[in-house]
Amino acid sequence: MLSERERERYKRQILLFGEDGQARLRDAHIFIAGAGGLGSPISIYLAVAGVGTITIVDMDTVDQTNLNRQILHTDRDIGKKKTVSALSRLREYNPDITINAIDTTISPENVRQLVGRADGIVDAMDNYPIRYLLNRVALDLGIPFFHGAIRGFYGQATTILPGETPCLECVFPKAPPREVFPVVGVTAGMIGTVQATEVVKYLTKSGRLLAGRLFTWDGLLATAEEIAIIQNPACRACGHGPDGKGSGERPV
Amino acid sequence: MNVRVRFFARFRELLGTDILAAPAEGTVLADQIREIARKNSEGYAAIFDDQGDFREFVIVMRNGKRIETTDAGTTTLVDGDEIAIFPPVAGG
Repeated sequence: MLSERERERYKRQILLFGEDGQARLRDAHIFIAGAGGLGSPISIYLAVAGVGTITIVDMDTVDQTNLNRQILHTDRDIGKKKTVSALSRLREYNPDITINAIDTTISPENVRQLVGRADGIVDAMDNYPIRYLLNRVALDLGIPFFHGAIRGFYGQATTILPGETPCLECVFPKAPPREVFPVVGVTAGMIGTVQATEVVKYLTKSGRLLAGRLFTWDGLLATAEEIAIIQNPACRACGHGPDGKGSGERPV
Repeated sequence: MNVRVRFFARFRELLGTDILAAPAEGTVLADQIREIARKNSEGYAAIFDDQGDFREFVIVMRNGKRIETTDAGTTTLVDGDEIAIFPPVAGG
């Protein structure tokens, strides 16, 4: 049951997915890895949608060069921990939800404890090693992994459902070289919003997820395309590779 | 035979978007992509290393299925193939 306040606050989206859908958002716990370019729109939109518990993790401090895209943080936050400004901004957006903002570096040692009993993991990272780690934790826990990544005017996103779809390592087995990547804030907004849309759809059982589909966005041409992706039976993470989960032969 | 090659993101800026090619029977995938990429040296260098091998992070898909870049030199194209060449992006 929703409270009167909830019915009012979420009135316009209850029109879309009903009070049941809203209750599912409220009862959900979503883990967001990163409070940067992608983590900003993802966390803001999930907060205002009424996702009941949001855990957001980042170890960084707000730097002036972040401000062209990281809209959780503002000029007066420069020098503060990102978790501090993220917590304060998200509380302003929605004081009715629980926000855990954790200032730490995600590592193989702490990742299971950080993710806890979350219902899904959202990828707002800027590097593949941690993405691979989160992908494997999602596979282990059997929870969705909402992938997104950006560079310049380009972005990509897909929703990984363990046992049903290819995993991140099926599609991207090798990390691109690390770099100070060029990016404009609107690309983070575009892809982060796609990821947040996927989370809302997953939780409210709406529409058709980006499952087995890689969404690509080319902002320069203003074209969105999709590439069908299939599981790699020899995947190191979810297939029959060296430390795979052995699910590679499952039909997609 | 006819095959379609789609480049994505930065590769597209350098090499064009949607390319129809008519390779001879028996043409292997890597050779076809090298031939197309040669029209722009920056595009070629973004995809291939000094030995002419695919850079290891480049994603090569044939009809929606990723193929190992190390196998692209022995994968023979067939009529109607759709090849996607994709640079994964890493930023967040």
